[in-house]
Amino acid sequence: MKDPIIQVNHLSFSYNGSPVLSDVSLTVMEKEFVAFIGPNGGGKTTLIKLLLGLLKPDQGTIKIMGQSPAKIAHRFGYVPQDVSFNKSFPISVMDVVLMGRLPFHRWTRLSRNDRIAAQKALESLEMLEFQNRKINDLSGGQRERVFIARALATDPDILFLDEPTANIDSQGRTDLYALLKELNKTKTIFVVSHDTMVLSSYITSVACVNKDVHYHNDAEITKEMLDMGYHCPVELIAHGIPHRILKTHEGNND
Amino acid sequence: MIDALHFEFMRNALIAGCFASLICGVIGSFVVVNRLVFLAGGIAHAAFGGIGLAFFLGIPYLLGTLGVSLMAAMIMTAVVLNNKDRADTFIGILWAIGMATGIILLDMTPGYNVNLMSYLFGSILAVPGSDLWWMLGLSVFTLFSTGFFYRDLLAISYDDEFARLRGVPVNLIYFLFIGLVAVSIVIIIRVVGLILVIALLTIPPYIAEKYSNSLAQMMGLSTLLAVLFNFSGLWVAYTYNLTSGATIILMAAAAFFISMIFDALFLKKPPTLISNEQNN
Repeated sequence: MKDPIIQVNHLSFSYNGSPVLSDVSLTVMEKEFVAFIGPNGGGKTTLIKLLLGLLKPDQGTIKIMGQSPAKIAHRFGYVPQDVSFNKSFPISVMDVVLMGRLPFHRWTRLSRNDRIAAQKALESLEMLEFQNRKINDLSGGQRERVFIARALATDPDILFLDEPTANIDSQGRTDLYALLKELNKTKTIFVVSHDTMVLSSYITSVACVNKDVHYHNDAEITKEMLDMGYHCPVELIAHGIPHRILKTHEGNND
Repeated sequence: MIDALHFEFMRNALIAGCFASLICGVIGSFVVVNRLVFLAGGIAHAAFGGIGLAFFLGIPYLLGTLGVSLMAAMIMTAVVLNNKDRADTFIGILWAIGMATGIILLDMTPGYNVNLMSYLFGSILAVPGSDLWWMLGLSVFTLFSTGFFYRDLLAISYDDEFARLRGVPVNLIYFLFIGLVAVSIVIIIRVVGLILVIALLTIPPYIAEKYSNSLAQMMGLSTLLAVLFNFSGLWVAYTYNLTSGATIILMAAAAFFISMIFDALFLKKPPTLISNEQNN
């Protein structure tokens, strides 16, 4: 039933002459919940930015819903990795989330719908009470939630989250993944995360990103697969209920 | 001070100060939040090349200066958009070339000795009425563009990657507003001088940023602060017979340090380290 939503063919990208990703091919079906895992510097963020169209591939093609990323970018929701930039910028939580509703018609005030959508997004992350606060007065974890709300306010078909839980406590993480699971009923979701233990019961597939990409459609990594040399810094990852705990992979102690 | 208002030059100076404050408050806020202060400095000094060119070719001041500074602004913008990391070096080079070219062109201009000081510190007390119309036009255009693109400007300034994803024409708006920075600098140099332009573009927005909840508030508060510095500087200059451009800058500088001391004493901000922050 499901159609491929993302098709990447022989994609290569290098940054200042050093290859970050080489010859990556990847097909992802609609409404998958994909976890990007892999070591630091393995190219996870670069891959996301290529999929978003913020970076241009050196070689290869990316088709998302049959189009180039730049053409379809308005249907993406994106949570960047770094949410602590521009620390002194005077802007309210509401105005940050409203960016998800861009572009606006010129001159016209924001429509009621835009505000309602932004408030709904904030509410789903339990941040509505902070809507009039300056974003710089919030903690890292709260800021993270505001940026997730901004991505949700776009009402995207595909959601990209680059380490969305880096600043969030464990209860917040569980809540966030439960919310993503709910959203996954209608949206395709990509998440970069090192929370492999928590993730395992929510995702539908795993992509190990380390210069190349190995995509596992069944969201299950076996010892054999690791032995074949996927080099993922994963100790255990399992899918479904009840959780399956896999043995720690030998020689993978970091 | 009140009796000074009987003089036309004083009335013109105050009106010019208001327009310059408005333009600098709005455009300066854009410059400060986008960290383009160095770029604005580069444009202002490259404009000096334009002053030299205008005198050398015998063309009107505005034509030569606008042409050169707009060209410099567009080149600098292209560099900033393509290579953010090294842009500052390149701007520094254009900055120096602009100044050097300006001086040499003035050297080569026969029989005319321009008072360079007036371009560095301006002569707000000698503003002709025609310049006020230029400033009025620029003020209206600046307010219009900022109002029209406010939400886009906000998104680009805060998070240009996200703005790009949402289909905001990031490059176009960047070029437009940096072009506006260039035009503002050229028109205001004539009134308050090159050094005061940079001071008015940066000091009021920097102070205002900390006390504002939005970019629009920051623009408004910077404008008010700039008016305050202009008027108080003019009053000191008039009373003690000093160079007005310099007194206005020193007023702004004094406010800058007072606000820093005030913040240190009364605004107890949490430390800026975020790595250990907790929720709630």
